[in-house]
Amino acid sequence: MARLTRLVALLTVVALAPPAAAQYRIGMSAAITGPASSTYAPTYEAYKVYFQRVNDAGGINGQKVEIAYEDDRGEPQRAAANAKKLGEGTILMVNASTSATYKPFMTESESEKIPLLFGGGVCPREAFPPASPLIFCSTSFGSKWDSRFALGFIKEQSGGKKVKVGFAAQDIPLSRIELEFAEQLAKEMGLDPIPVVVVPGNTPDFTPFAQKLKDAGAEWVLSWALWHVEVGVFEALQRIGWPGRYLLYGHQQTQDELARLKAPSLHAFGGNTLFMENLPIHTEITGLVKGQTTHPPHYMAEGWVSAMVLEAALKKCGWPCSRDKLAAAMAGVSIDTRGLRGGSIEWSADNHYRKNTYYKVYRWDPARSSIVSVGGWTRLEIK
Amino acid sequence: MTQVLATTVVVASLYALLAAGYVLVYRATRVLNLAQGDMMTLGGYFLFLVATAAPGEPARAIAGAAALSALAGFLIYRLLMRPMAGHPIFAAVLVTVTLGILLRAAIVLVYTDRIRHPLGLLGLANPARPLIGGAVVSTFDLFTVGAAAALFAALFLFLRFSPLGIQMRAAGEKPLLASQRGINFHLVFALSWALAGFAGALAGILYANNVRLDPSLGVLGLKAFAVALVGGLDSLGGVVPGALIVALVEVLSVRYGDPLLADVSPFLCLLAMLLVRPWGLYGTKEELERV
Repeated sequence: MARLTRLVALLTVVALAPPAAAQYRIGMSAAITGPASSTYAPTYEAYKVYFQRVNDAGGINGQKVEIAYEDDRGEPQRAAANAKKLGEGTILMVNASTSATYKPFMTESESEKIPLLFGGGVCPREAFPPASPLIFCSTSFGSKWDSRFALGFIKEQSGGKKVKVGFAAQDIPLSRIELEFAEQLAKEMGLDPIPVVVVPGNTPDFTPFAQKLKDAGAEWVLSWALWHVEVGVFEALQRIGWPGRYLLYGHQQTQDELARLKAPSLHAFGGNTLFMENLPIHTEITGLVKGQTTHPPHYMAEGWVSAMVLEAALKKCGWPCSRDKLAAAMAGVSIDTRGLRGGSIEWSADNHYRKNTYYKVYRWDPARSSIVSVGGWTRLEIK
Repeated sequence: MTQVLATTVVVASLYALLAAGYVLVYRATRVLNLAQGDMMTLGGYFLFLVATAAPGEPARAIAGAAALSALAGFLIYRLLMRPMAGHPIFAAVLVTVTLGILLRAAIVLVYTDRIRHPLGLLGLANPARPLIGGAVVSTFDLFTVGAAAALFAALFLFLRFSPLGIQMRAAGEKPLLASQRGINFHLVFALSWALAGFAGALAGILYANNVRLDPSLGVLGLKAFAVALVGGLDSLGGVVPGALIVALVEVLSVRYGDPLLADVSPFLCLLAMLLVRPWGLYGTKEELERV
């Protein structure tokens, strides 16, 4: 009898106890190590800090957010294994890695009907209108739109003259495709493009590539590649006495590097505000990541925005949140980036990039001995 | 054209510094040290380490980094390679592959993958230097050429005239006779590893100041490996023409051909050399057979 009483008591306790902590399970694959990690690892770090804070504050809709992180080193084979692993039991996969890792994730997303968020790597075509139902992208840079802005900027800075524009791409497909597109677009915009110069990422000396651009008579050079290639070509051009101006995409390193190079002819454009602007959100991030990350706070912007978007999507999804429900919730997300970007990120059923994208250009001002923005935000409407 | 020549000499000097490490270790121990590129990276990070600890003291930082790298080379031999004595050579080569992976992982663990520029920490600048004929190179380009020239001159004198250098040559060329003469093989081998560490560090230190420092620099070691094979794996003298040929083809392919060829041109040179003269420009045929 006593045994039966104990059993009944135990069953009662089990029945009355709150259910085991349910969680939003997310999987993230990032180039945490490997040659491209200086661009992507900060996103992983930003996610860790951001969702630690969210969970410490009680989670979202009363549920914790559990993120499984996997390192893909920017390699497709590892990414394929990660996609399989992360596609099981999660409601969303996040990719913060090189474009070489996209294919396996997209395949997994398609076959398992799981939403896929690109949050650190360049936005793929499938996120732009008409968007694929499961593909979303929060990254500040997006192919084709970046070139549209960059060439518009060059044209504006040249006072509408037909200037000669050179292009320094890296030997990775995405960079080459983007700058080949830019070369074509430059013609249509009334500029005088020079054929794209493709630079191997591990070249011992950038001088021959720079010489090629200089000899071709480039007055402006546009580079859209990994940071070390963008800057390597610029430094070589500067060394050989090239008198032109250089525009590159500003990755997380921009703030440090503009200050290091102190070159007024170097312009960096991008979608994130530099931390030297000291906005309240910058101060907040700096305080939160202190001692938590291996990268400095100003590397966190890209990942922070992505994490903000994910938090908003999970809130909107409610609980319980299935893959379908989350995809539907994401398609209606609208977040205020609090100044980290030039405007809000708004997704709709057929636009998973954003309704409007914003760009800003920074350069070193020797007179002020500081980094300054060249004008304010430029808005491009994504159609 | 003068710019092409100037760039060729600079790139060749960097390759020569790296390739010297391959040849030094191979000549003495018959081991292909496939971690040489990562030893270059390690040298760069030693510079960063010392420069962080004592900023604004370039002489101390560079000397410290070079000494630490030589010590690392010595310890690699003492802890990893010496226990491989008596095992097949390929096992020792596999150890060097593993060593390279471990060095890279350790560097990422300590310093992350962030790109570093130790030049600022050293309190130095790297201004452009115009040359005769209109070519322009950086100050550290000139240092790279100077360092390669100094290293090869010093190695020549050391191997030709110093007792230890003669012992190194003897151990490499006639190991049996050398052992019968009582030459301390372990000392000779350890010295060759230390010298390889030093040569790699020179390349790493100069490249880190001239271009950048990140954990992936070791891939340059693969190109330098092609240089060592083109020149002849057992010939230190062959490194210089080997480096010049590889660098010239690389620079010309960018300048007058498809820039994408730059990455593969060292291996095209290697392929051509293997077809025509498999033992390299100045290598010995017997050595190739032994490999």
